[in-house]
Amino acid sequence: MTCGSRVAVCLLLALGCGVLAGCTGPVEKVAPEAQIRTGWDEYRLGNFAQARDAFQSALRYTPKTNATHLAALYGLATTWNMRRPNEDDVLAEKLYRQLIALAPTNDLAAWSWLALARIQAAPVEGESVDLLKQVDAYQQVIDLFPFHPAGEEAFLYQQAARLEEPDEGRARSVLLALEAFLDAHPRSPWRATAYALCAHCCDVLGLGSKRLQAVFNTWRASEVAPANPVQDRSWTYWQIATVAEFEVGDFATARTYYGKLIEEYPTEQRVFPAKQELKRMDELEARLRQEASKP
Amino acid sequence: MMRACFSWIGRHFPLLVVAIVYFWSMGSILAYRQAQVPAGTDVVLRIGHWQLEPGVREAFNRMADAYRVQHPHVTIVQDAIPEGTYGQWMTTQLMGGTAPDIIEVGMLNYNIILGYHSRYFVPLTSFVNQPNPYNAGTALEGMPWRKTYKDAMRGSYVEELQEYMTVTLAQFGCRIFYNKDLLKRLTGLDAPPHNYRGFLAVCEKIKSQRDARGRPYTPITSSNYHMGMWESFMCDPPTYGAVRRIDFNRDGAVGNDELFVGFKTGRIGFGFPPYAAKYSIMRELTSEFQPGFTGLGRDEAVFPFVQQRAVFISTGTWDAGSLQEQAKGLFEIGVMDFPLPGRDDPAYGSVIEGPVYERPAAGFPFAITRTSKHPEVALDFLRFLGSQPGNQKLNDIIGWIPAISGTTMTPLLQAFAPHLEGVYGALPLTLGGETIIKWQQLTALFQVHQIDYKEMTDTFAPFYLFKGVEEFAEAQRNRRRGVAREEQFLAGFRARAMAESGTNAASLWIKYRQLTSSRLITRNLNAARLRKILEEGVTTNALAPYAFSDRVVEKVRAQVAAGNREQP
Repeated sequence: MTCGSRVAVCLLLALGCGVLAGCTGPVEKVAPEAQIRTGWDEYRLGNFAQARDAFQSALRYTPKTNATHLAALYGLATTWNMRRPNEDDVLAEKLYRQLIALAPTNDLAAWSWLALARIQAAPVEGESVDLLKQVDAYQQVIDLFPFHPAGEEAFLYQQAARLEEPDEGRARSVLLALEAFLDAHPRSPWRATAYALCAHCCDVLGLGSKRLQAVFNTWRASEVAPANPVQDRSWTYWQIATVAEFEVGDFATARTYYGKLIEEYPTEQRVFPAKQELKRMDELEARLRQEASKP
Repeated sequence: MMRACFSWIGRHFPLLVVAIVYFWSMGSILAYRQAQVPAGTDVVLRIGHWQLEPGVREAFNRMADAYRVQHPHVTIVQDAIPEGTYGQWMTTQLMGGTAPDIIEVGMLNYNIILGYHSRYFVPLTSFVNQPNPYNAGTALEGMPWRKTYKDAMRGSYVEELQEYMTVTLAQFGCRIFYNKDLLKRLTGLDAPPHNYRGFLAVCEKIKSQRDARGRPYTPITSSNYHMGMWESFMCDPPTYGAVRRIDFNRDGAVGNDELFVGFKTGRIGFGFPPYAAKYSIMRELTSEFQPGFTGLGRDEAVFPFVQQRAVFISTGTWDAGSLQEQAKGLFEIGVMDFPLPGRDDPAYGSVIEGPVYERPAAGFPFAITRTSKHPEVALDFLRFLGSQPGNQKLNDIIGWIPAISGTTMTPLLQAFAPHLEGVYGALPLTLGGETIIKWQQLTALFQVHQIDYKEMTDTFAPFYLFKGVEEFAEAQRNRRRGVAREEQFLAGFRARAMAESGTNAASLWIKYRQLTSSRLITRNLNAARLRKILEEGVTTNALAPYAFSDRVVEKVRAQVAAGNREQP
């Protein structure tokens, strides 16, 4: 080895030592709450390994009865459940059940039950899983947490799953179930979605007027976020107008909502068809009026 | 001693060269950056973009000077990077933590950009909901910033993140550019006719003439790149009539799945006059293009235009400046709208329902990077550029269309004012890989006149109906496969809502429910409806989605009769 090479090797070794020294700097103990925040930040960025480490670290430093421990457990279970690739349903299920066992009535237990049901309902290779299996899985959540948002969400998933095969008998029974839900949950934040599903059932069953009512109710029940109060209603107006025009024959309502669309969303793609529909309704009425006036 | 020294240098020569070049580059960059920053500057904002078109860099410099008048402690420096390397440059800068404070977002695959949005850029939702202070004294004063945009900042909203992530600074549009002098010389006209038949007649006249060397002129210079514009603006509009026939979910547009179900159940086919009209127009237009245009690239199509061998070319506002620059001193450029056939057209009048609709979407999008040392100043500069007076000035200098309401355009750009009302295409033959490729192969042959419409559609229709069954099923499976991704996103979103409190929590929970409803709960309902229609098979008497049923007609008849009776 020449002198120069020896110098180069020494320099490299020194550099390596420096790097390693940097790696083993003073270790700061991070609060478990902060670790959970980091875990979710990493999760949202798709850094699932880092998310897992953060949640695991939070788990390690919290007693089992602590709310932070449950939060860490939920975060870790969700990470294993949702990460792609390398997801591990089995481990995720074990962690969710661990959480449920520790605090069966906790808010996170409700969300864990919903996650377990969603694992059961997850499509396999793009194919839907057996409907009965899905219905049973959601029913467990509904039975345990009937008035919790997770239980209500499970109910809506259950009804939507039943509507995936749109036969009239099933649509009728789903409509009844949804109406019962709306009666029993007058303050549920999920009412808009329930009405939207009702509207779909009415569409399958050919119940024009009832569908129009359901669409109106969907609109009335839809929530407005305080941080973002301006909502795009163009689709709602269009939907009300077309259902009123073609399914109910309520041209007055149709005109009102086409008009709202044109006035409030002048650059929307559907403005031109809305104007065309206004003209078509006028033409139909004119033709019928002419026919009626003939002796 | 000297020998030893030379010997050492000889042994380490490559290493020395690398070290010298490295330090020289570092020194140059530092010196260059130092030279860009005037004395008295506290804040240096860097802005990165790929717009090397004439006017853009000058515009940024002048806007920076104007901003500096109001904020003397701020200096703005731009990094203008060529389009070809912009994606890699942006990636390395973002990953290395050395990205400019403000960066133009693009030149990469959408999924990559999406990842960058969440990792490297600052969400702007809360800021775009506040008024822009630089709009003070204008009609837009006090209005939320996003509402001051012509497109209500639709182009800045990232659906997947539910956040406004960028600030857009200009609008773009496509039109036909023409050589005024050549048109006059060849046809005697000062301006081309705006009606379809007149336009074709002018093209024929141009084609019949020869230059001094006996070569024929090309009426329209085109390429594979330009063909898309002609297709969107001239050929697609007649197909709009299909909406009333096969828009099964009545959302105002025809989806690729709806089109397949329509074909498969006999509700529509290639014999549908609006579809035949599309390809008839395409045949007539491509007859005016130069031979072999499908094999040409974007720049190759521009050459005949700037060499005054072609009269017309379709392109967008982004090329307006460079075309004018190349024509300077040689010929005058005019801009015209696409001459769509009118309602009185003998062949297409019955299928043309209106002008083509153009969504007023803004582009030229800039984001603030998370590594910015002065994000508040970066935001303020973007507010300055995105204000009514600022955006007007910026675009006046560049020669583009301002993105903010109440701004004006130069006379040349007035022809680019978007048509805010009109029709749109309804023939999305994009069901799955095999049928898309087959259709592309056939349309390529059709465009170069090797096959006619009948041969093209006779070949494609059985293939589409046969292969489409599996592709339709696969599209449904893909829809279900997408659930995992949605669920992953929504679990993270829900965790955010759980961690917040007060108004923020309420807003996030509302958003969570809205997203869960649309992306997961009601996700498959539409597909289920289409499957049902498909299962019912071929039908000859089904009521179209936008047709009045007998029941509705009777109800309206009764209302009309009642109205007649009420009238004295």
